[in-house]
Amino acid sequence: MSIFESLTLAFKNIVSSKTRTLLTMLGIIIGVAAVIVIVGLGNGLEGYITESFSSMGTNTLTASVSARGSTRTLSVDDMYDIVEENSGYLDLCSPTVNMMGSVKIGSETSRTSVTGVSEDYFSIKNYTLSKGRGIQYSDIALRAKTCVVGAYVDMAYYGGSAVGETLRVGGQSLTIVGVIEQQSEELEEGGSDDCLFLPYSTAARLSGGVSSYTVTVRDESLIAEGKAALENALEDFFGSDSFYTVTSMSEMLETMTGMISILVAVLAGIAAISLVVGGIGIMNIMLVSVTERTREIGIRKSLGAKERYIMEQFVIEAAATSALGGVIGILLGYALSAVASKVVAGLMETALTVAPTVGAVGTAFGISVGIGILFGYLPAKKAAVLNPIDALHYD
Amino acid sequence: MSALIEFQNVCKYYEMGDTTVVAADHISFQIQRGEFVAIVGSSGSGKSTCMNIIGCLDVPSEGTYLLDGRDVGGMNKNELAEIRNELLGFIFQQYNLLPKLNLLENVEVPLMYAGISRSERRERAEAALGMVGLEEKLKHKPSQLSGGQQQRVSIARALAGEPAVILADEPTGALDSRTGREVLSLLQQLHAAGNTVVLITHDNTIAVQAQRIIRLEDGRVVYDGPSDAPDAVVTPRVAGTGGGAA
Ligand SMILES: Nc1ncnc2c1ncn2[C@@H]1O[C@H](COP(=O)(O)OP(=O)(O)OP(=O)(O)O)[C@@H](O)[C@H]1O
Ligand SMILES: [Mg+2]
Repeated sequence: MSIFESLTLAFKNIVSSKTRTLLTMLGIIIGVAAVIVIVGLGNGLEGYITESFSSMGTNTLTASVSARGSTRTLSVDDMYDIVEENSGYLDLCSPTVNMMGSVKIGSETSRTSVTGVSEDYFSIKNYTLSKGRGIQYSDIALRAKTCVVGAYVDMAYYGGSAVGETLRVGGQSLTIVGVIEQQSEELEEGGSDDCLFLPYSTAARLSGGVSSYTVTVRDESLIAEGKAALENALEDFFGSDSFYTVTSMSEMLETMTGMISILVAVLAGIAAISLVVGGIGIMNIMLVSVTERTREIGIRKSLGAKERYIMEQFVIEAAATSALGGVIGILLGYALSAVASKVVAGLMETALTVAPTVGAVGTAFGISVGIGILFGYLPAKKAAVLNPIDALHYD
Repeated sequence: MSALIEFQNVCKYYEMGDTTVVAADHISFQIQRGEFVAIVGSSGSGKSTCMNIIGCLDVPSEGTYLLDGRDVGGMNKNELAEIRNELLGFIFQQYNLLPKLNLLENVEVPLMYAGISRSERRERAEAALGMVGLEEKLKHKPSQLSGGQQQRVSIARALAGEPAVILADEPTGALDSRTGREVLSLLQQLHAAGNTVVLITHDNTIAVQAQRIIRLEDGRVVYDGPSDAPDAVVTPRVAGTGGGAA
C-alpha cells in the first residue's frame, strides 16, 4: 500500500465529516494565521524603520559633546582637526545645532525644524538645491543672517517663491537664499521637507554653542572603525570618556531592528501556543475516531492490514487534517495581513505594509504538519495495536 | 503433498482470574485442498476459538497449527497479517463491510494490502463482484444493499484475493432461510470450482451441506467424518440421551 493510497484514504475520511474536521482544525487555523500576521507586522515595521533610517544616512556618525565639568572645551576647529587627523576613516564633518525655538514667517508661527549646519552638511545628507544657493563657507565665517528652507516651507508659506524673502528664528531675522529639493513623496507639516538650515555660527550665537557634530565615514563598511577612531580621538582630547558620545545610525538601526525581532519572536511564540492547543484538539478527535472505528480497524486487520498500515492511516489523517488547517490558516493570515496593512496605513498616515514572509509561511505550514504527526502518533499507535479479534467484535 | 490445514493437539486456554478456561482441548484434524468442511457444535463448544486459530487471528496456547505447511504458532503479528492477506478469505456473520467505501472499494481492500496495482485491483474486484451477481451495483454503498447482497459482497471480497482457504463464520446467521440457502449454494459453487471452504456453524441443517463435518464439544472433537454418515449430525452422547427420551 503506497503513501498515495494512504493519503487518498485520509482525505476521504476528512471530507466525510466536514464540520468535525473544521472544528478540529480551528486551533491550528487560528495559530497559523496569528503567527503569520505577527511576523508580517514585525517585518513591515522593520522595513519601515530601515527605510526611514537609511534616508538619514547609514554612513554617518553623530558625536555629542558635553564638556561641562571638563578642563578642556572642544572648539569647532578642534573637531575639524580630529576629523582631519583620522581622514583614513572619516570624511566630512558638520557641526549641527538643533534649535528649539519656533519660526515666525510673517505673522504665522510654524514648528519647522531648525538646524545650524556647515557648508558640508548638504553633501553629507545628499541634499540638492532646487532654487538659489546653499550655505557657504563665507556665511559661516561672517555669521551671515541667511538660511536655506525645505520645499514644504517654500510652497506652504511663499507659494514657491521663498528665495529673497525673510523670516525670523529666535528673534533673529534671516534671509532665505535657497530651497532644498523635495525629499519625501508628499509635502506635509512636520515632514522631512518642513525644515530650515542656517550657518552653525549664526545658530551657535543664538542658542549658545555647538554641542553636536555629524561626521561621515569614507565608506559604509568602515562605520565601526570610524566610530572607534573618533571615540579614541575624543578620549585623548578630554582625557576621559565621560564627556562625549558617538552614535552611528546603522548601530541604532541594528538595535531597533534587534528589539523588533525579539518582540516579534515573543509574540509569535505566544501565538504558537495556539498551535499546541490545536494539536491537542487533533489528538483528542483522533482518539475518538479510533474508538469509533475500532470495528473498521478489526476488519482491515482481518483482511491483512499490518500494524504499520493502520498506523500510517491514522498518522496521515492527523497530519492531513493539521496541514489543511495550516493552509487555511495561511490564507486567513494573508487576508488579515492585507486588512492590517490598510488599518495601519489609515491610523498612522504612513504606508506600513504587513508583509508575511515566505519563511514564516513555510515554517507555519511545516509546524502544523509536524504537530499533526506528533499528536496523531498516540491515537495511531492505539489503533495499530488493537487486537483484531476484539476489534472485530466491538460495536 | 501435505494437508492444507493441520491441527496437531491444538489447545487454547483463557485465563479468567484464577480459573483457566479450556476453549480448545487437544484438537487434531487435517483438511486437504479442495475440501468443504463444516465445523459444528453448540454454543461455547469452541468453534470461534478454532476459527480464530485457522484464520490466523490468534495462535494456539499449545500444540501446532500448520497452514500450507507453515507453522503459524511462532509467527509475529506482521507475519500473521501477511498470511491472512495471502492465504485466507473471511466471510463473517455480520458481513463486516466498510460502510464508507463502495462495493468495488470494499472488495479492493485486501488486494490493496497485498500491494496489487490499482488497475489490476479494479479488474479483479469487478470480476469477483460479477461472480456473485452484483456487477450492476459496483458503486453502491453497502447500506444500499439487502443483507443477502451484502453477504455476497463479502464473499466477493474473500474470493478476490484468491485465497487458499475460504473461512465462513456463521455466514447465514443474519439471513432469512431463503437468502441463507442462496449464500450456501454460492459456497457450494466455490467448492465445486476447486476452492477449499471451511464453514463454521451451530446449525446442523447447514452443516450437512458440507462434504465433511467436524463436531466440537467442550473444546474437543467428538465427530470427524462425512456429513452423510448416520451419526454425523448427532453426537453419540446426545444420541444416547435423546434416544432414551424418545
Ligand atoms: N477471550 C476469551 N476470554 C475468555 N474466555 C473465552 C474467550 N473467548 C472464548 N472464551 C471461552 O472459550 C469457550 C469457547 O468459546 P467459543 O467462542 O470458541 O465458542 P463458540 O463455539 O464460538 O460459541 P458460540 O456458538 O456461542 O459462538 C467458551 O467457554 C468461552 O467462554
Ligand atoms: Mg462463536
